Amino acid sequence: MSFRNFRRATFLIAQKDLKIEFRRPHEILSILTFSVGSILIASLALRGNGSAIPEIVAAVLWIIIFFINILIFTTAFTREADRGTIGGLKTLPCSPIAILAGKIMYGTALIFLAICVLIPCSLLFLNFQMGGNFLNLIFICILGAVGFSFAGSFVSGLVMFSEGKTLLLSLLLIPVCMPVILLSVITTGKIIRGASLYSIIPELRLFFAFLLFMTAIMVVTFTFVLEE
Amino acid sequence: MSSPAKHSRTIEVIDVSKRYGDMYALKSVSLEIEKGECVALLGSNGAGKTTLLKIIATHIVPTAGRVNILGEDIFKNNGSIRRTIGLVTHDSYLYDELTIRENLQFYAQFFVGNGEEIRFDRIEFLGLKRWYNVPVKQLSYGLRKRADIGRALLHSPDVILLDEPFAGLDVATCDLLVEYFKKLKEDGKTLMLSSHSTEWIKKVYNREVVLKKGKIVGEKDRNEF
Repeated sequence: MSFRNFRRATFLIAQKDLKIEFRRPHEILSILTFSVGSILIASLALRGNGSAIPEIVAAVLWIIIFFINILIFTTAFTREADRGTIGGLKTLPCSPIAILAGKIMYGTALIFLAICVLIPCSLLFLNFQMGGNFLNLIFICILGAVGFSFAGSFVSGLVMFSEGKTLLLSLLLIPVCMPVILLSVITTGKIIRGASLYSIIPELRLFFAFLLFMTAIMVVTFTFVLEE
Repeated sequence: MSSPAKHSRTIEVIDVSKRYGDMYALKSVSLEIEKGECVALLGSNGAGKTTLLKIIATHIVPTAGRVNILGEDIFKNNGSIRRTIGLVTHDSYLYDELTIRENLQFYAQFFVGNGEEIRFDRIEFLGLKRWYNVPVKQLSYGLRKRADIGRALLHSPDVILLDEPFAGLDVATCDLLVEYFKKLKEDGKTLMLSSHSTEWIKKVYNREVVLKKGKIVGEKDRNEF
Protein backbone atom coordinates (compact mmCIF):
# COMPACT_ATOMS: atom_id res chain seq x y z
CA MET A 1 0.00 0.00 0.00
CA SER A 2 1.50 3.31 -1.07
CA PHE A 3 1.83 6.15 1.42
CA ARG A 4 -0.70 8.16 -0.60
CA ASN A 5 -3.30 5.41 -0.30
CA PHE A 6 -2.46 4.96 3.38
CA ARG A 7 -2.99 8.66 4.01
CA ARG A 8 -6.25 8.64 2.06
CA ALA A 9 -7.56 5.59 3.92
CA THR A 10 -6.62 7.14 7.27
CA PHE A 11 -8.38 10.37 6.38
CA LEU A 12 -11.53 8.59 5.13
CA ILE A 13 -11.84 6.55 8.32
CA ALA A 14 -11.30 9.58 10.56
CA GLN A 15 -13.80 11.60 8.50
CA LYS A 16 -16.40 8.83 8.77
CA ASP A 17 -15.92 8.56 12.56
CA LEU A 18 -16.17 12.31 13.08
CA LYS A 19 -19.30 12.47 10.93
CA ILE A 20 -20.88 9.72 13.04
CA GLU A 21 -19.78 11.45 16.25
CA PHE A 22 -21.38 14.74 15.23
CA ARG A 23 -24.60 12.90 14.34
CA ARG A 24 -24.65 11.73 17.98
CA PRO A 25 -24.32 15.15 19.62
CA HIS A 26 -25.22 13.81 23.06
CA GLU A 27 -21.81 12.11 23.33
CA ILE A 28 -19.84 15.22 22.42
CA LEU A 29 -22.04 17.30 24.70
CA SER A 30 -21.40 14.90 27.59
CA ILE A 31 -17.63 15.26 27.01
CA LEU A 32 -17.88 19.05 26.96
CA THR A 33 -20.16 19.11 30.02
CA PHE A 34 -17.69 16.91 31.86
CA SER A 35 -14.82 19.27 30.90
CA VAL A 36 -16.58 22.41 32.08
CA GLY A 37 -17.99 20.72 35.20
CA SER A 38 -14.56 19.41 36.22
CA ILE A 39 -12.95 22.83 35.77
CA LEU A 40 -15.68 24.42 37.90
CA ILE A 41 -15.16 21.87 40.67
CA ALA A 42 -11.39 22.38 40.53
CA SER A 43 -11.93 26.13 40.64
CA LEU A 44 -14.03 25.75 43.80
CA ALA A 45 -11.37 23.54 45.37
CA LEU A 46 -8.56 26.00 44.57
CA ARG A 47 -10.42 29.23 45.46
CA GLY A 48 -9.02 31.64 48.00
CA ASN A 49 -5.38 30.75 47.27
CA GLY A 50 -4.76 33.73 45.04
CA SER A 51 -3.20 32.78 41.74
CA ALA A 52 -3.20 29.00 41.23
CA ILE A 53 0.11 27.12 41.18
CA PRO A 54 0.99 26.27 37.53
CA GLU A 55 1.83 22.62 38.32
CA ILE A 56 -1.55 22.13 40.01
CA VAL A 57 -3.35 23.76 37.07
CA ALA A 58 -1.42 21.47 34.69
CA ALA A 59 -2.29 18.38 36.75
CA VAL A 60 -5.99 19.35 36.86
CA LEU A 61 -6.01 19.94 33.09
CA TRP A 62 -4.36 16.65 32.18
CA ILE A 63 -6.40 14.55 34.63
CA ILE A 64 -9.54 15.92 32.96
CA ILE A 65 -8.08 15.22 29.50
CA PHE A 66 -7.17 11.69 30.57
CA PHE A 67 -10.78 10.98 31.53
CA ILE A 68 -11.99 12.55 28.29
CA ASN A 69 -9.62 10.16 26.53
CA ILE A 70 -11.30 7.23 28.30
CA LEU A 71 -14.75 8.54 27.29
CA ILE A 72 -13.71 8.87 23.64
CA PHE A 73 -11.91 5.58 23.27
CA THR A 74 -14.51 3.55 25.13
CA THR A 75 -16.51 3.81 21.93
CA ALA A 76 -13.82 4.04 19.22
CA PHE A 77 -13.28 0.38 18.37
CA THR A 78 -15.80 -1.08 20.80
CA ARG A 79 -18.74 0.42 18.93
CA GLU A 80 -17.41 -1.05 15.66
CA ALA A 81 -17.06 -4.46 17.30
CA ASP A 82 -20.47 -4.34 19.03
CA ARG A 83 -22.32 -3.33 15.87
CA GLY A 84 -20.36 -5.67 13.63
CA THR A 85 -19.08 -2.85 11.42
CA ILE A 86 -15.50 -3.86 12.23
CA GLY A 87 -16.14 -6.61 9.68
CA GLY A 88 -16.85 -3.90 7.11
CA LEU A 89 -13.51 -2.25 7.86
CA LYS A 90 -11.86 -5.63 7.34
CA THR A 91 -13.29 -5.82 3.81
CA LEU A 92 -11.43 -2.66 2.86
CA PRO A 93 -8.30 -2.95 0.73
CA CYS A 94 -6.16 -1.08 3.22
CA SER A 95 -3.64 -1.92 5.90
CA PRO A 96 -4.93 -2.48 9.46
CA ILE A 97 -2.50 0.26 10.48
CA ALA A 98 -4.44 2.70 8.29
CA ILE A 99 -7.60 1.81 10.25
CA LEU A 100 -5.75 2.42 13.51
CA ALA A 101 -4.27 5.66 12.19
CA GLY A 102 -7.80 6.79 11.25
CA LYS A 103 -8.93 6.18 14.81
CA ILE A 104 -5.90 8.10 16.12
CA MET A 105 -6.75 11.05 13.89
CA TYR A 106 -10.40 10.95 15.02
CA GLY A 107 -9.39 10.74 18.70
CA THR A 108 -6.91 13.59 18.37
CA ALA A 109 -9.58 15.79 16.77
CA LEU A 110 -12.07 15.11 19.56
CA ILE A 111 -9.53 15.58 22.37
CA PHE A 112 -8.39 18.81 20.75
CA LEU A 113 -12.00 19.98 20.58
CA ALA A 114 -12.33 19.32 24.31
CA ILE A 115 -9.03 21.16 24.92
CA CYS A 116 -10.39 24.16 23.00
CA VAL A 117 -13.15 24.36 25.61
CA LEU A 118 -10.92 23.47 28.56
CA ILE A 119 -8.21 26.11 28.07
CA PRO A 120 -10.50 29.19 28.03
CA CYS A 121 -12.48 27.72 30.96
CA SER A 122 -9.23 27.16 32.89
CA LEU A 123 -8.07 30.71 32.20
CA LEU A 124 -11.44 31.95 33.39
CA PHE A 125 -12.04 29.79 36.45
CA LEU A 126 -8.66 28.50 37.66
CA ASN A 127 -7.25 31.98 38.02
CA PHE A 128 -3.77 31.28 36.70
CA GLN A 129 -1.40 33.76 35.11
CA MET A 130 -0.21 32.71 31.70
CA GLY A 131 3.45 33.64 32.01
CA GLY A 132 4.62 32.02 28.78
CA ASN A 133 3.64 31.98 25.17
CA PHE A 134 0.05 30.85 24.67
CA LEU A 135 1.01 29.14 21.37
CA ASN A 136 3.52 26.98 23.25
CA LEU A 137 0.70 25.82 25.52
CA ILE A 138 -1.42 24.94 22.47
CA PHE A 139 1.55 23.05 20.99
CA ILE A 140 1.94 20.98 24.16
CA CYS A 141 -1.81 20.34 24.25
CA ILE A 142 -1.75 19.05 20.65
CA LEU A 143 1.21 16.79 21.46
CA GLY A 144 -0.58 15.49 24.54
CA ALA A 145 -3.75 14.87 22.52
CA VAL A 146 -1.73 12.91 19.94
CA GLY A 147 -0.03 10.88 22.70
CA PHE A 148 -3.34 10.07 24.37
CA SER A 149 -4.85 9.13 21.01
CA PHE A 150 -1.97 6.76 20.23
CA ALA A 151 -2.41 5.02 23.57
CA GLY A 152 -6.23 5.19 23.53
CA SER A 153 -6.69 3.82 20.01
CA PHE A 154 -4.29 0.97 20.54
CA VAL A 155 -5.77 -0.13 23.87
CA SER A 156 -9.31 0.31 22.50
CA GLY A 157 -8.38 -1.98 19.59
CA LEU A 158 -6.78 -4.52 21.92
CA VAL A 159 -9.83 -4.90 24.15
CA MET A 160 -12.62 -4.60 21.55
CA PHE A 161 -13.34 -8.34 21.33
CA SER A 162 -12.98 -9.03 25.06
CA GLU A 163 -15.61 -9.33 27.77
CA GLY A 164 -15.67 -6.36 30.18
CA LYS A 165 -13.97 -4.17 27.59
CA THR A 166 -15.03 -0.90 29.25
CA LEU A 167 -13.40 -1.85 32.54
CA LEU A 168 -10.34 -3.27 30.79
CA LEU A 169 -9.92 -0.12 28.72
CA SER A 170 -9.97 2.15 31.77
CA LEU A 171 -7.54 -0.08 33.69
CA LEU A 172 -5.10 -0.56 30.82
CA LEU A 173 -5.12 3.09 29.81
CA ILE A 174 -3.70 4.21 33.18
CA PRO A 175 -0.28 2.53 32.78
CA VAL A 176 -0.12 3.01 29.01
CA CYS A 177 -0.93 6.73 29.28
CA MET A 178 1.30 7.35 32.29
CA PRO A 179 4.30 8.61 30.26
CA VAL A 180 2.02 11.04 28.38
CA ILE A 181 0.38 12.25 31.59
CA LEU A 182 3.70 12.82 33.39
CA LEU A 183 5.38 14.56 30.47
CA SER A 184 2.32 16.68 29.67
CA VAL A 185 1.92 17.79 33.30
CA ILE A 186 5.61 18.69 33.65
CA THR A 187 5.84 20.56 30.34
CA THR A 188 2.50 22.36 30.79
CA GLY A 189 3.58 23.51 34.27
CA LYS A 190 6.84 24.84 32.85
CA ILE A 191 5.12 26.57 29.92
CA ILE A 192 2.62 28.27 32.23
CA ARG A 193 5.56 29.47 34.35
CA GLY A 194 6.98 31.10 31.24
CA ALA A 195 9.51 28.53 30.01
CA SER A 196 10.36 28.48 26.31
CA LEU A 197 10.05 25.43 24.06
CA TYR A 198 13.86 25.23 24.03
CA SER A 199 13.94 24.58 27.78
CA ILE A 200 11.56 21.62 27.53
CA ILE A 201 13.47 19.82 24.78
CA PRO A 202 14.49 16.91 27.09
CA GLU A 203 10.80 16.24 27.86
CA LEU A 204 9.89 16.58 24.18
CA ARG A 205 12.57 14.02 23.29
CA LEU A 206 11.06 11.58 25.77
CA PHE A 207 7.64 12.31 24.35
CA PHE A 208 8.70 11.54 20.78
CA ALA A 209 10.47 8.40 22.01
CA PHE A 210 7.14 7.30 23.52
CA LEU A 211 5.33 7.96 20.21
CA LEU A 212 8.00 6.02 18.30
CA PHE A 213 7.77 3.13 20.76
CA MET A 214 3.96 3.05 20.49
CA THR A 215 4.18 3.21 16.68
CA ALA A 216 6.60 0.27 16.61
CA ILE A 217 4.31 -1.82 18.84
CA MET A 218 1.26 -0.93 16.74
CA VAL A 219 2.94 -1.79 13.44
CA VAL A 220 4.11 -5.15 14.75
CA THR A 221 0.94 -6.20 16.58
CA PHE A 222 -2.13 -4.50 15.22
CA THR A 223 -2.63 -6.87 12.28
CA PHE A 224 -3.10 -9.67 14.81
CA VAL A 225 -5.46 -7.55 16.91
CA LEU A 226 -7.92 -7.34 14.02
CA GLU A 227 -7.79 -11.08 13.33
CA GLU A 228 -10.49 -13.27 14.77
CA MET B 1 -1.67 -9.86 -8.95
CA SER B 2 -2.24 -12.69 -11.42
CA SER B 3 -4.51 -12.04 -14.31
CA PRO B 4 -8.03 -13.48 -13.86
CA ALA B 5 -7.89 -14.89 -17.40
CA LYS B 6 -4.98 -17.18 -16.46
CA HIS B 7 -6.96 -18.93 -13.74
CA SER B 8 -10.15 -20.75 -14.55
CA ARG B 9 -10.18 -21.76 -10.87
CA THR B 10 -11.11 -18.55 -9.16
CA ILE B 11 -11.18 -19.95 -5.63
CA GLU B 12 -9.06 -22.82 -4.31
CA VAL B 13 -9.59 -23.87 -0.70
CA ILE B 14 -6.81 -26.30 0.17
CA ASP B 15 -7.12 -28.45 3.29
CA VAL B 16 -8.40 -25.61 5.44
CA SER B 17 -9.09 -26.12 9.14
CA LYS B 18 -10.18 -23.63 11.75
CA ARG B 19 -10.08 -24.48 15.41
CA TYR B 20 -11.48 -22.49 18.34
CA GLY B 21 -9.98 -24.04 21.47
CA ASP B 22 -10.76 -27.76 21.23
CA MET B 23 -13.59 -27.30 18.77
CA TYR B 24 -13.11 -27.48 15.01
CA ALA B 25 -15.31 -25.04 13.10
CA LEU B 26 -13.80 -26.41 9.88
CA LYS B 27 -11.78 -29.58 9.44
CA SER B 28 -9.66 -30.24 6.33
CA VAL B 29 -12.01 -28.57 3.89
CA SER B 30 -10.90 -28.53 0.24
CA LEU B 31 -12.87 -26.94 -2.54
CA GLU B 32 -12.29 -25.58 -6.03
CA ILE B 33 -14.58 -23.08 -7.70
CA GLU B 34 -14.37 -22.16 -11.34
CA LYS B 35 -14.77 -18.72 -12.84
CA GLY B 36 -18.44 -17.91 -13.44
CA GLU B 37 -19.61 -20.67 -11.15
CA CYS B 38 -22.17 -20.26 -8.38
CA VAL B 39 -21.68 -22.59 -5.45
CA ALA B 40 -24.23 -23.01 -2.69
CA LEU B 41 -22.89 -23.84 0.75
CA LEU B 42 -25.60 -25.74 2.53
CA GLY B 43 -25.78 -27.01 6.07
CA SER B 44 -27.49 -26.52 9.38
CA ASN B 45 -26.52 -23.83 11.89
CA GLY B 46 -22.96 -24.29 13.12
CA ALA B 47 -21.94 -26.38 10.11
CA GLY B 48 -19.10 -23.97 9.28
CA LYS B 49 -20.59 -22.08 6.33
CA THR B 50 -19.97 -18.59 7.70
CA THR B 51 -16.49 -19.51 8.92
CA LEU B 52 -15.56 -20.76 5.45
CA LEU B 53 -16.91 -17.62 3.79
CA LYS B 54 -15.08 -15.39 6.28
CA ILE B 55 -11.82 -17.27 5.71
CA ILE B 56 -12.15 -16.80 1.94
CA ALA B 57 -12.92 -13.11 2.57
CA THR B 58 -9.63 -12.85 4.58
CA HIS B 59 -11.53 -12.03 7.78
CA ILE B 60 -10.48 -15.13 9.64
CA VAL B 61 -7.05 -16.72 9.43
CA PRO B 62 -7.32 -20.50 9.20
CA THR B 63 -5.52 -22.70 11.74
CA ALA B 64 -4.21 -24.81 8.85
CA GLY B 65 -4.46 -24.87 5.08
CA ARG B 66 -4.41 -22.29 2.37
CA VAL B 67 -6.82 -20.34 0.17
CA ASN B 68 -5.95 -19.02 -3.28
CA ILE B 69 -8.00 -16.51 -5.20
CA LEU B 70 -7.06 -16.10 -8.86
CA GLY B 71 -3.97 -18.14 -8.12
CA GLU B 72 -2.73 -15.95 -5.30
CA ASP B 73 -2.49 -16.89 -1.62
CA ILE B 74 -5.03 -14.59 0.00
CA PHE B 75 -3.11 -14.09 3.22
CA LYS B 76 0.11 -13.01 1.49
CA ASN B 77 -1.40 -9.90 -0.04
CA ASN B 78 -4.86 -9.49 1.40
CA GLY B 79 -4.97 -5.76 0.58
CA SER B 80 -5.12 -6.32 -3.17
CA ILE B 81 -7.12 -9.56 -2.88
CA ARG B 82 -9.88 -7.66 -1.08
CA ARG B 83 -10.41 -5.56 -4.19
CA THR B 84 -11.67 -8.71 -5.90
CA ILE B 85 -14.05 -9.74 -3.09
CA GLY B 86 -17.52 -8.58 -2.13
CA LEU B 87 -18.85 -9.97 1.14
CA VAL B 88 -22.28 -9.87 2.76
CA THR B 89 -22.71 -11.52 6.15
CA HIS B 90 -25.38 -11.76 8.86
CA ASP B 91 -23.99 -8.56 10.40
CA SER B 92 -24.79 -5.36 8.60
CA TYR B 93 -21.62 -3.43 7.83
CA LEU B 94 -23.53 -0.18 7.48
CA TYR B 95 -23.30 2.68 9.96
CA ASP B 96 -26.65 3.59 11.53
CA GLU B 97 -25.97 7.32 11.73
CA LEU B 98 -25.01 7.67 8.07
CA THR B 99 -27.39 7.65 5.12
CA ILE B 100 -27.30 4.86 2.54
CA ARG B 101 -25.45 7.15 0.13
CA GLU B 102 -22.85 8.12 2.75
CA ASN B 103 -22.32 4.47 3.69
CA LEU B 104 -21.92 3.37 0.09
CA GLN B 105 -19.62 6.31 -0.64
CA PHE B 106 -17.48 5.54 2.40
CA TYR B 107 -16.86 1.94 1.36
CA ALA B 108 -16.61 2.63 -2.37
CA GLN B 109 -14.01 5.37 -1.95
CA PHE B 110 -11.46 2.75 -0.92
CA PHE B 111 -11.92 0.93 -4.21
CA VAL B 112 -11.84 3.85 -6.63
CA GLY B 113 -9.00 6.20 -7.36
CA ASN B 114 -8.95 9.78 -6.12
CA GLY B 115 -11.44 11.81 -8.14
CA GLU B 116 -12.79 8.71 -9.86
CA GLU B 117 -16.56 8.46 -10.01
CA ILE B 118 -18.46 5.91 -7.92
CA ARG B 119 -20.68 3.80 -10.20
CA PHE B 120 -23.99 3.81 -8.33
CA ASP B 121 -25.66 2.57 -11.53
CA ARG B 122 -24.17 -0.89 -10.81
CA ILE B 123 -26.61 -1.36 -7.95
CA GLU B 124 -29.59 0.43 -9.42
CA PHE B 125 -31.42 -2.92 -9.68
CA LEU B 126 -31.71 -2.94 -5.87
CA GLY B 127 -34.20 -0.08 -6.06
CA LEU B 128 -32.56 1.92 -3.31
CA LYS B 129 -32.42 5.26 -5.06
CA ARG B 130 -35.35 6.86 -3.22
CA TRP B 131 -33.83 5.80 0.11
CA TYR B 132 -30.31 7.09 -0.55
CA ASN B 133 -30.65 10.07 1.78
CA VAL B 134 -32.29 8.21 4.65
CA PRO B 135 -30.12 7.30 7.68
CA VAL B 136 -29.66 3.54 7.89
CA LYS B 137 -31.13 3.42 11.41
CA GLN B 138 -34.50 4.41 9.95
CA LEU B 139 -34.57 1.57 7.43
CA SER B 140 -36.43 -1.72 7.67
CA TYR B 141 -34.42 -4.96 7.85
CA GLY B 142 -35.08 -5.74 4.19
CA LEU B 143 -33.93 -2.33 2.95
CA ARG B 144 -30.85 -2.48 5.15
CA LYS B 145 -30.00 -5.89 3.72
CA ARG B 146 -30.44 -4.57 0.18
CA ALA B 147 -28.15 -1.66 0.98
CA ASP B 148 -25.61 -4.09 2.41
CA ILE B 149 -25.71 -6.15 -0.78
CA GLY B 150 -25.23 -2.91 -2.72
CA ARG B 151 -22.19 -2.10 -0.60
CA ALA B 152 -20.63 -5.44 -1.46
CA LEU B 153 -21.31 -5.16 -5.20
CA LEU B 154 -20.53 -1.49 -5.77
CA HIS B 155 -16.87 -2.09 -6.64
CA SER B 156 -17.79 -4.87 -9.09
CA PRO B 157 -15.85 -7.68 -7.38
CA ASP B 158 -14.89 -10.89 -9.21
CA VAL B 159 -15.69 -13.03 -6.19
CA ILE B 160 -18.99 -12.49 -4.41
CA LEU B 161 -19.54 -14.16 -1.05
CA LEU B 162 -23.03 -13.99 0.40
CA ASP B 163 -24.04 -15.43 3.73
CA GLU B 164 -27.79 -16.08 3.81
CA PRO B 165 -28.48 -13.43 1.14
CA PHE B 166 -32.22 -14.14 0.96
CA ALA B 167 -32.93 -14.14 4.69
CA GLY B 168 -35.46 -11.50 5.72
CA LEU B 169 -36.14 -10.27 2.18
CA ASP B 170 -39.55 -10.11 0.53
CA VAL B 171 -40.41 -12.26 -2.49
CA ALA B 172 -40.01 -9.42 -5.00
CA THR B 173 -36.49 -8.59 -3.77
CA CYS B 174 -35.52 -12.27 -3.72
CA ASP B 175 -36.67 -12.55 -7.34
CA LEU B 176 -34.64 -9.46 -8.22
CA LEU B 177 -31.56 -10.88 -6.54
CA VAL B 178 -31.93 -14.24 -8.29
CA GLU B 179 -32.07 -12.53 -11.68
CA TYR B 180 -29.10 -10.31 -10.79
CA PHE B 181 -27.01 -13.24 -9.54
CA LYS B 182 -27.73 -15.06 -12.83
CA LYS B 183 -26.50 -11.99 -14.71
CA LEU B 184 -23.37 -11.83 -12.57
CA LYS B 185 -22.65 -15.47 -13.42
CA GLU B 186 -23.03 -14.72 -17.13
CA ASP B 187 -20.58 -11.85 -16.67
CA GLY B 188 -18.01 -14.34 -15.35
CA LYS B 189 -18.30 -13.45 -11.67
CA THR B 190 -17.85 -16.23 -9.15
CA LEU B 191 -20.48 -16.55 -6.47
CA MET B 192 -20.59 -18.44 -3.19
CA LEU B 193 -23.86 -18.37 -1.33
CA SER B 194 -24.58 -19.99 1.99
CA SER B 195 -27.96 -20.97 3.28
CA HIS B 196 -29.63 -23.45 5.56
CA SER B 197 -32.56 -23.66 3.15
CA THR B 198 -32.55 -24.14 -0.62
CA GLU B 199 -35.79 -22.30 -1.38
CA TRP B 200 -34.21 -19.41 -3.32
CA ILE B 201 -30.65 -20.49 -3.63
CA LYS B 202 -31.54 -23.46 -5.87
CA LYS B 203 -32.64 -21.05 -8.59
CA VAL B 204 -29.08 -19.80 -9.02
CA TYR B 205 -26.44 -22.34 -8.11
CA ASN B 206 -24.49 -24.72 -10.37
CA ARG B 207 -23.19 -26.83 -7.55
CA GLU B 208 -24.10 -27.50 -3.96
CA VAL B 209 -21.61 -28.26 -1.22
CA VAL B 210 -23.03 -29.63 2.00
CA LEU B 211 -21.19 -28.95 5.23
CA LYS B 212 -21.76 -30.78 8.49
CA LYS B 213 -19.79 -30.19 11.68
CA GLY B 214 -17.06 -28.42 9.75
CA LYS B 215 -16.59 -31.09 7.08
CA ILE B 216 -17.80 -31.39 3.51
CA VAL B 217 -20.20 -34.32 3.52
CA GLY B 218 -21.66 -33.95 0.06
CA GLU B 219 -21.03 -32.23 -3.23
CA LYS B 220 -23.31 -32.34 -6.25
CA ASP B 221 -23.43 -30.60 -9.63
CA ARG B 222 -26.78 -29.22 -10.69
CA ASN B 223 -26.84 -31.64 -13.64
CA GLU B 224 -26.87 -34.57 -11.23
CA PHE B 225 -30.28 -33.66 -9.85
